[in-house]
Amino acid sequence: MNRAAIEDELLAWMKSDDWTSDPGRFDRIALELFRFQYDRCKPYALLCQSIDRTPDSVRTANDIPAVPTGAFKEFELRCFDAAGTIRTFHTSGTSTDRRGKLHLDRLDLYEESLLSSLRHCLLTRSGAARRIECMRFLAPSPDEAPHSSLSYMFGALCEAEGGAESGFDLRGDRLDSDALHNAVRGARLEDEPMLIAGTAFAFVHFLDDVGQEDWELPLGSRVMETGGFKGRSREVPRSVLHSELAKRFAIPEVSVINQYGMTELGSQFYDSTILDPNGPRRKLAPPWTRVRFTDPATGQDAPSGEVGLILIQDLANSGSIAAIQTADLGRAILDHAGHAIGFEVIGRAEGAEARGCSIATDIMLEASRGEPR
Amino acid sequence: MTRLEFNWPDEASEAVRAARGRLEIAGRRLASRPFEERLRVVAGIVDTWSRPDSPWRRELSERLACDSGFHRATIDEGLDSALRAWDPTRFAECARREIDHRTGFERIELVPYSCTSVLAGGSIPMPTLLSGILPLVLGSPVLLRENSKDAVTGELLGRSIAECDRELGECLEVVRFAVEDDAAMDRFLESPCVVATGSDDTISSIRRRLTSNQRFVAYGHRFSIAVLGPQTTRSEAALARTLQGLALDVARWDQLGCLSPVDVYLVGFSPTASKRVAEGVAAALEGLSISEPRGEHPPEMLAAHSVERSEARMRAAVAEEAAYFDGDDFAVVLESDARARPAPLMRFLHLLPVPSAAALVRALGPFSSRLSSAALAGFDETEAERIGQELKLLGVSRLCKPGHLQTPPIDWPHDGMPLFTPMARFVQKD
Repeated sequence: MNRAAIEDELLAWMKSDDWTSDPGRFDRIALELFRFQYDRCKPYALLCQSIDRTPDSVRTANDIPAVPTGAFKEFELRCFDAAGTIRTFHTSGTSTDRRGKLHLDRLDLYEESLLSSLRHCLLTRSGAARRIECMRFLAPSPDEAPHSSLSYMFGALCEAEGGAESGFDLRGDRLDSDALHNAVRGARLEDEPMLIAGTAFAFVHFLDDVGQEDWELPLGSRVMETGGFKGRSREVPRSVLHSELAKRFAIPEVSVINQYGMTELGSQFYDSTILDPNGPRRKLAPPWTRVRFTDPATGQDAPSGEVGLILIQDLANSGSIAAIQTADLGRAILDHAGHAIGFEVIGRAEGAEARGCSIATDIMLEASRGEPR
Repeated sequence: MTRLEFNWPDEASEAVRAARGRLEIAGRRLASRPFEERLRVVAGIVDTWSRPDSPWRRELSERLACDSGFHRATIDEGLDSALRAWDPTRFAECARREIDHRTGFERIELVPYSCTSVLAGGSIPMPTLLSGILPLVLGSPVLLRENSKDAVTGELLGRSIAECDRELGECLEVVRFAVEDDAAMDRFLESPCVVATGSDDTISSIRRRLTSNQRFVAYGHRFSIAVLGPQTTRSEAALARTLQGLALDVARWDQLGCLSPVDVYLVGFSPTASKRVAEGVAAALEGLSISEPRGEHPPEMLAAHSVERSEARMRAAVAEEAAYFDGDDFAVVLESDARARPAPLMRFLHLLPVPSAAALVRALGPFSSRLSSAALAGFDETEAERIGQELKLLGVSRLCKPGHLQTPPIDWPHDGMPLFTPMARFVQKD
């Protein structure tokens, strides 16, 4: 199976909107993709050789070596000629930080993956519920932030599903609350449900800055937030943010959902509460992804339901590396029978404060900003 | 019968207020005692802690083994090596040099603060022990706030003082309250002199709460390094000694203190010599894994360690000059450049090659306010002197040989400051 055939199958899978888990299909494509990525990405091949896990020895998808997210800052992890790059997304950080990069030589698979998840987890509707067309984004537009995967995602969503009233309300890091409020008022007049999506810190600024105007959203509206707060706004526990947003927009808390995603991945993970309002809040994984939790002490899979480092295999990452070792801690959420029905993110390994009279993990990087050597 | 317990919202604040009240009375008696008498008693306390058979040290070790994440062998070795360097005579001489000589010859009078609040930081006991006794020499009683990671050292110190001198024992009160308890923290920070050890965030937040006429002595987070020169590999015996010493510096207190080296700079090494050093220090750490195993630390720290290991393994796989060695509880990474990378601590060592002393200075430049101590080896005398001078200008407050980073003498200028003077108040007598 060559890359084109793998991607054709993946596209068909994503378009089917069938989120039933299919481990056999996943394993087969993952192993094919591993062979391809091993052949085409030299740094990855060297990593695999150094730990003696090459296509000759790897038999199951779970044995495929994962690349740490930090490696995207150090190496060009792409499986195509650099000249073929049509889009590069950068991880967040200051202008002088080393930033991770995801290079893409085709966008259809990337877009199909993100739209499929958004449609399935965020825009899903039942019965006579109306379609959400008005979408406002508390993030810079793709024109303003061409290297932001989040802005690209919002742009793609807006183009695929958004109506004429959709648009971006963050310009030059400033929230245009008048434009947002006009859109809310318009949606209310039309009694059309709307979506407000953006970064968590933008929502914190929204909550801190807007006055006492009526921000009630029409029935069936949704709010989606993503990302962290560090250095961009005050820190707010996610549950508090959700509760405050639900209150401010007068919508049920289950209609406020979080997206877990990262620049290095082609797929994203959304809270379950719109699809399953009565179940535990958890992240849902698209079937072309596999999320595992590794014991940081041993590197082996953590026992089911136990906390571990989140390892993601994302087949949408066909042009880079599919198996990614994140720096986040999480655990599987199990049903009564002990089967995983999703997962939760507990926190980040990096930045964990060291004990005693000692330095924080990233203190050296902070100190070295702006000093290229 | 049911036992009812009431937790009043201001309970901790009231406890701090009561402790402060007791200290006010005890402090008057303390201030009236002559400097030499206070010094004699406190030096005696240093002596009781520094003796190999010290019952206080034994109890501290036993209780830390249960309460902290450190392995008992690491605690024993850490306490033994650090307290062995605490010479009571040197302590007394330092006090006389800094305080008594000034008051004797310069017509300057020492005026004790009515109270010194000491905010202890971290789980390594030495800073808490020292900052708990220094104000007593200066005639100021101590209100010591324990932190959640070490609920043992303050209490034991108090008991050891009381056993030496009951009246002095009344001059140290240990309080415990949550860092979020604003009422208790405000009351705690009312003292005219405040000493704090902690992260930059902690130090900044305390500084913001103090008034400009309060004395604030802050010991922030720093890190230490080792610098090895090309002569390191000249003789097998010297190399083994250096690497064993380095491994010990890394393994002590699981590398969690600011005296722990996080980076070793290899100045002017060939790739082969660099690999030899990396391999050797890994072997020495492997040996210490058996005699002094790493302790049990929180999952977030283990996770950070694991993430850094994965990244280092990949760098080593890709760059020919890089190498990676690890064991169950340590990792040694020989990098291909001297770029700064996260230090997850817990026995994780970066070896960074630099072609020359000038390149070393350039590499360290961005950290000039963060450096604590440096171990130096493998240079001829002139070069060692020159590099030492550069390191001092970069803010290093102590230079030593590998193996001695974590065992400074009691009077070393912590963060470049004298031992007693920052907590002392003087008045000119004309």
